[in-house]
Amino acid sequence: MYECRKVIQSPIFLGLFLLFSVYNIYLIVSSSDHKEELKIVNELIDTYGRDISDTSLAQLDQDIQQEMTQLKRSAGLEFQSVHELLENMSLEEQEAYSQEHWNQIQQLAVKEMYFNTARSIDESYAGIDIQATGEGEVRMYGLSGSSASYLLQEYEKLDKRFEELVKNGEQKQWFFAGKAYFMHSFLFQTVFRHIIIESLLLIVLATALITAYEFEQKTQLLTFSTKRGRKLMKDKFSASIAIAVATMILLLGITLGTFFIVFDYSHVWSTSISSAFNWEYNFPYIAWWDISVGTFLWLAAGMVLAGGLLMSCLTFALATVVKNSYIAFAGIALFFVAVLLLPSFMSKSSILFFITGYNLSQLLLGISNSFMGGGLTGSRNYEWLTVSCWTLIAAGICFAAYRRFTKTDIG
Amino acid sequence: MRMILNEMKKILTWRMLTFLLLVNTVLYFLLISFDIEYFPNGRPALDGYRLGIEMIEEYGVKMDEEDMLDFSRQYKSLKKEADEYLQARPEFAAAGLENYEKLITSDWNNEEQQKLSNQIFHEEQVDLFWELQERSRLMEFHDMKEMIGFEANALQQKRFDELLAEGKYQAYSEVVIQNFKDFIVHVGITVLFSVVLLISPFILKDRTRRLLDLQYTAKVGRNLYKTKLIAGILSAGMVITVLLAFYFSLYAQNGTSPYFGLGVNAFIANLTWYDPTFLQYIWLCILAIYVIGIIFTMLAMTVSSVVPNFVTLIGIQIPLLFVMLLVGFKILLSHIISVQSPQWLVPCLYGLLSIVSAGLLIYLIRREKLRDILE
Repeated sequence: MYECRKVIQSPIFLGLFLLFSVYNIYLIVSSSDHKEELKIVNELIDTYGRDISDTSLAQLDQDIQQEMTQLKRSAGLEFQSVHELLENMSLEEQEAYSQEHWNQIQQLAVKEMYFNTARSIDESYAGIDIQATGEGEVRMYGLSGSSASYLLQEYEKLDKRFEELVKNGEQKQWFFAGKAYFMHSFLFQTVFRHIIIESLLLIVLATALITAYEFEQKTQLLTFSTKRGRKLMKDKFSASIAIAVATMILLLGITLGTFFIVFDYSHVWSTSISSAFNWEYNFPYIAWWDISVGTFLWLAAGMVLAGGLLMSCLTFALATVVKNSYIAFAGIALFFVAVLLLPSFMSKSSILFFITGYNLSQLLLGISNSFMGGGLTGSRNYEWLTVSCWTLIAAGICFAAYRRFTKTDIG
Repeated sequence: MRMILNEMKKILTWRMLTFLLLVNTVLYFLLISFDIEYFPNGRPALDGYRLGIEMIEEYGVKMDEEDMLDFSRQYKSLKKEADEYLQARPEFAAAGLENYEKLITSDWNNEEQQKLSNQIFHEEQVDLFWELQERSRLMEFHDMKEMIGFEANALQQKRFDELLAEGKYQAYSEVVIQNFKDFIVHVGITVLFSVVLLISPFILKDRTRRLLDLQYTAKVGRNLYKTKLIAGILSAGMVITVLLAFYFSLYAQNGTSPYFGLGVNAFIANLTWYDPTFLQYIWLCILAIYVIGIIFTMLAMTVSSVVPNFVTLIGIQIPLLFVMLLVGFKILLSHIISVQSPQWLVPCLYGLLSIVSAGLLIYLIRREKLRDILE
């Protein structure tokens, strides 16, 4: 406990934590222009149910038509679709509408967009050729030999999963339109990356501070000759872990709390993460399992926790060996970037190209694509294998560092 | 003088230099290597680069109307060549692509046509066709030379009109200057991190080792603090020089020297407040890196003189470095004379930063003379 106080009582740690929290809140609030438009999905789910079926679509179509006739009558306009209306509208015409009318037109336009996307799900999913994507990927990265055949194998598995997904109808559930709002990327890439990098900075600093504290205060000769002696390192280890967990939970809590206050996710928690609306770039998100948005969020937060704890362990080990928090911090930062780059130094024809991708940096920075198929880290087992391998590695290193410390020269 | 040298030896230890080498290796592969290995990055960047050199050789650093006429004459004759090329291959005529015009306006839904156009542009990479594309893009730019291309405020518009009146309009492909801007920002980041990592710990180290008790009671006494600061700035300057020399010798591989005499406003989408040549702009950026490096050296030494431990030392500098990474380098380095920020902003920022960092050090020098070192 006294070890934890060393961190909690240092103003820089609290200062950085506050600064990061404020920055995250600013980041979320400043990109929330479209939060009102998102609520239309909630409305859709309330009225037509989560699953998109032919009957519910027909119902939606009917309602849109009805609203449109109403609009035509009250505004005295003639048009086939709202999209067409907006496209041909000049700025002056726009200003001529009353606020109420204008809102109505906007709402209808969004609804129409959702309807059109929903209607063409079958068609666009039929156009997805997973095998061809895999071959394109092999060409793009210039893979050959065993690495190429490995990637193609993975895509074959993904193809099976894709068929299963379509059969289950996981894609036919309402979610915020990906191509319009990029909510998945915003939450799991932008926001989560901020959380990850900030909490890693805090964790590594805190761990380095706790571990090397005595050596930097020049009290090591006293502390480690007491009865508790070098076993104190064990307490330091627990204190670092406790601080790491607390930091991450608080930072995740504050940031995600703000996020969900700003953006209303209340209706889409149980929508599948592989929904066709969650399609942002060339390829929809295809998860290996049928997981919902809520579950995905928990899993992502879990991975942040796991990754942060592992980095804390590695920092502890390094700081025990070098006995200097400055070198420990810089060393861990270097390590984080170096393993991130590691795969690019591997031969493109060797399976090592993929094996070296199983590292914490890639796992944490690519969190928005975790549990998803496709890409270089899209293997079904990627996440749990990475975490468990690195748990073993970190445990081994920590143990060795502790053993070494019990015999090392303190002076 | 001897004291300064000895202090510098304490900063530039073999251990620290090895560490800097590691940091630079990692940052080189993370940031800089791309700007050098992939220049020009694919097509039509390659054609823009080649065409630019050709244009400078033929027309010099300024394109006037006559040059432009000649340019479009060349375009037409090359186009004829392209037509002949297509006619010589029966499969193109069969698909309805008997001339260049039809090739580039080919139907997106016609699979046969797409396949052939893909073949010529991507599989065979016929230079002629890529060059024609780039030429036509440059000609389009020339036709629109009186439009500024973004929503300008009054001062920006005035600057634009001024340049136009002098006959300086955007005529050369932007590949080279864009690549240099990316490169220089990445070099700036690498240099900044190296300098901050090098300088940060050394004053604090003496203090935590209780070295001051000894030093300040010696004959040189408290003036030693000033010596340390000078040693810090000199070491930082040395490291910056070595790194810049190394990274610019790599940059030489990009072969951009034919562009050196070109005014920076002659590049597309690069409107600036002043009109130096490309080479002068490079020197300006180098100078900017030195200034930024020295400012952050002074800040690092300030922090190092007041914080109680290494963790605080790093922690305080994290937000500073973040701001530099997010916006600082763009404003202070690559867009140093760009019209994107008001003309007064960049000089003011440099002035403010220098005054603040130097002022803090002067305050610390005074404080050091009176400080109770036993506390």
